[in-house]
Amino acid sequence: MTGRESSAPETSAPDADGDSARRVRRMRRFDNPWRNPKLIWGAGLLLGIVALGILGRLFWDADLVFTGAGTPRQAPAGFENLRGQAGSWSHPFGTDVSGKDILALLIVGAPNTLYVGVLASLIGMGVGIFLGFSAGFIGGRLDDAIRVGSDVMITIPPLLILVVAQASFGDIGLTAMAVLIAGFAWQSPTRLIRAQALSMRESGYVLMARLSGASTGHIMFREMLPNLVPYLFGSFIANVTTSIVTAVGLEVLGLGPQRVPTLGRVIYDAINSGALIQNLWWWWGIPTVLLAAMFIGLLLINLGLDEVSNPRLRRL
Amino acid sequence: MNILDIGDLSVDFPTSKGVVHAVTGVSLSVPKGRRIGFVGESGSGKTTTALAAMRMLTPPGFVSRGGIHFNSPERINLLELDGESMRRVRLRRISYIPQGAMNSLNPVMRVERQIWDGIVAHEGPADREELRRRSDAALEGVGLDPAAVAHLHPHELSGGMKQRVCIAIGVCLRPDLIIADEPTSALDVITQRHVMRTLREAQGGIGAGLILIGHDMGLMAQSVDDIAVLKKGELVEFGPTRRIIKSPRHPYTRELISSVPLVGGGRFPASAPAKPAAAPRRESGPPLLEFQSVSKSYGGATALRPMSFRLDGEAPRIISVVGQSGSGKTTMGSLMLGFARPTTGRVLFEGGSVPGRSSGERLEFRKRAQAIFQDPYACFNPFYRVDHTLRFPFERFGLSGGPEDTARAMDEACRAVGLAPEAVLGRYPHQLSGGQRQRLIVARALMLSPRLLIADEPVSMVDASLRATILDSIHDLKESHGISIFYITHDLATASHVSDYVMVLHKGHVVEAGPPDAVIGDPRHAYTRLLIDSIPWPDPDREWGSEVDARAALEEIEIQPETVHRGSIPGFELRQG
Repeated sequence: MTGRESSAPETSAPDADGDSARRVRRMRRFDNPWRNPKLIWGAGLLLGIVALGILGRLFWDADLVFTGAGTPRQAPAGFENLRGQAGSWSHPFGTDVSGKDILALLIVGAPNTLYVGVLASLIGMGVGIFLGFSAGFIGGRLDDAIRVGSDVMITIPPLLILVVAQASFGDIGLTAMAVLIAGFAWQSPTRLIRAQALSMRESGYVLMARLSGASTGHIMFREMLPNLVPYLFGSFIANVTTSIVTAVGLEVLGLGPQRVPTLGRVIYDAINSGALIQNLWWWWGIPTVLLAAMFIGLLLINLGLDEVSNPRLRRL
Repeated sequence: MNILDIGDLSVDFPTSKGVVHAVTGVSLSVPKGRRIGFVGESGSGKTTTALAAMRMLTPPGFVSRGGIHFNSPERINLLELDGESMRRVRLRRISYIPQGAMNSLNPVMRVERQIWDGIVAHEGPADREELRRRSDAALEGVGLDPAAVAHLHPHELSGGMKQRVCIAIGVCLRPDLIIADEPTSALDVITQRHVMRTLREAQGGIGAGLILIGHDMGLMAQSVDDIAVLKKGELVEFGPTRRIIKSPRHPYTRELISSVPLVGGGRFPASAPAKPAAAPRRESGPPLLEFQSVSKSYGGATALRPMSFRLDGEAPRIISVVGQSGSGKTTMGSLMLGFARPTTGRVLFEGGSVPGRSSGERLEFRKRAQAIFQDPYACFNPFYRVDHTLRFPFERFGLSGGPEDTARAMDEACRAVGLAPEAVLGRYPHQLSGGQRQRLIVARALMLSPRLLIADEPVSMVDASLRATILDSIHDLKESHGISIFYITHDLATASHVSDYVMVLHKGHVVEAGPPDAVIGDPRHAYTRLLIDSIPWPDPDREWGSEVDARAALEEIEIQPETVHRGSIPGFELRQG
């Protein structure tokens, strides 16, 4: 294509109007791949949740998460609960059975949920990059060991192990939970990166680097890794999604951190206290909507990154 | 009667940087039964023109002007047909034989089924006996034995056989026009000759028109009746083959013809021939490179049979290793570079084993033995500017005296290979042409000034007009910088031009070796003769060898396995076993 592009000015005079020009204008919209609508919307949704956590602490009282902060079972502003009491603006999203303010729970809980997912994914990716490159590039016995190890781990259902681990450790913190989940987040990145490293190992520039006397570390992390960045990014985002799903799953089962509010924990409490029977829909409904927004944001970012790193997917 | 009329055809590719005019105002006609060659370099629009006739342009490309009329059975404008009518035209009326046969056959279908596929799609279901009869006839038509081949899967066939199966699919419905897009570009010269003959016979048998797309004037001269020369999307010359070859009018046509290296056409770097008795450049010590009964096998397959040679390296030499794919020549290259370990024997570089035991030894070996690879597109890391590829080894080997020194060395190396430093340095690899990239790789080798350079097919992926310049640069490495070079190639013609000594490899075995004038000018071994006969030359009068000769030669190769030694040169010694 390069040859054709450079040859363009030397061929016949360009027709400024007509079909071609219109098509060119359509293509121009995609000139900067990062201005991808999916990516922008996805990033906007996630940043909105982060902003909720930061701004919320500034403009709302985070201490309202404690029991008895307000009258129990208040409906959100503009709605009525079963007893016909109208909600008030002092608790815009209402309160739960023990009077905790739902807005405050969201402000504290949503960033916590995101934190668990991102941290677990970061650890998982770090381990995956290291093991995947070692297996793919160095090969031999090391490759066998890593491959068998990750394959065996993939077959073990994570929730089963996590339930047992959480149950035996009792109350754990957010970070400890992230580390536990990371124990199940490194296998698929390891396999993906190993496959990429295997095909890249034979490529011309890696041969050139070997000829240049480059060390193994240099080849792995300076020559090969930069070319995988868009790919790793996508894999990272996908990993955050699975980690959050796992974390929320555990929390909804009541196995998450007991003292720290998270979105999953709020839903667990709601189910446990009969929110469905008492028609306290705001208690479980609003955290669910926020979780859905989080997943949609992550999905959009993933799709957007796919289009950025793979121009063929862009609509023309 | 004309079977296809292309009138004032223009094809545009809108891109974000503006419209690329891939084809501009091309008009030509293909008479029934006549063979037309489309010649041009990559990006000249030859494939795009043919794909436009098939209505198979890749988006966003589209026909912006002109028409393509097809005259069988009645005159229709192909560009106005709806999808279903166009589907009926494809394969039935116009068939397309693609470039890479290895990728165009379905790997999970037996060969005969792939032929049936086309028949059923155009003529409706038929019973199995009838289908088998027709697929067998089609396979016989391309010289394949249906009993042996019809039930095989594509991976069980050789490259030449796969290409012939593609031809069988292309001609089984007796189309009126066959478009063959570089049908032999991935094949060696012997197979190329065979496939081209098959294609011509199949086409002659059904009386179809043929459009042969290619870049090799030599192949065109031996295969087609008319030649259309395309340059940057424009038709610059069109006429009968004999006229075009004998008296080309357009300078670009002349350039294309002269870029085909001729066997026995004299050494082409215009510089004086190598002085055989050049003064020794260093104290005699251990030989530069030595193979001691080296052989290599992968699993049960022998890639290289035991061979021994010794290159003194006191005066620089260019040793050519010539062979077809699978001859073991690339294996030899990776053994020399220490990328592969010999199964038996030892590879010694300056007396030490390759690639060295400690990391210090390995670094020293890498500094003194460098390589140029076939694919200039893959050799640059797309993440970095091209400077990285030049600067990194220079600094890594401790040759640099600081950033300014490196920059100066890079500038000098670029100028030495005929590149303007400001035009190439600081740019990303995809912004440079294939020729510029390959010359940068030569510049890299020059900066490191190794003692030994392995050049593995350095020009096979570069446009023909640039080959001479790059080979010139490589030759210059030897002349002015005293670097000994192993030139690994399938191309006897270029080998004869640049080298001091030629080794012809066949199935991991050296069949003939000696100075190029003897080996290539007057081949003694049957295999060498067959290779030379199979090279297409831009000479329409030449008889391109016959089937009978090739068979006889192949039989002779079987009974004559010994190396034919054709003299020696000082500083290089080859032994059997």
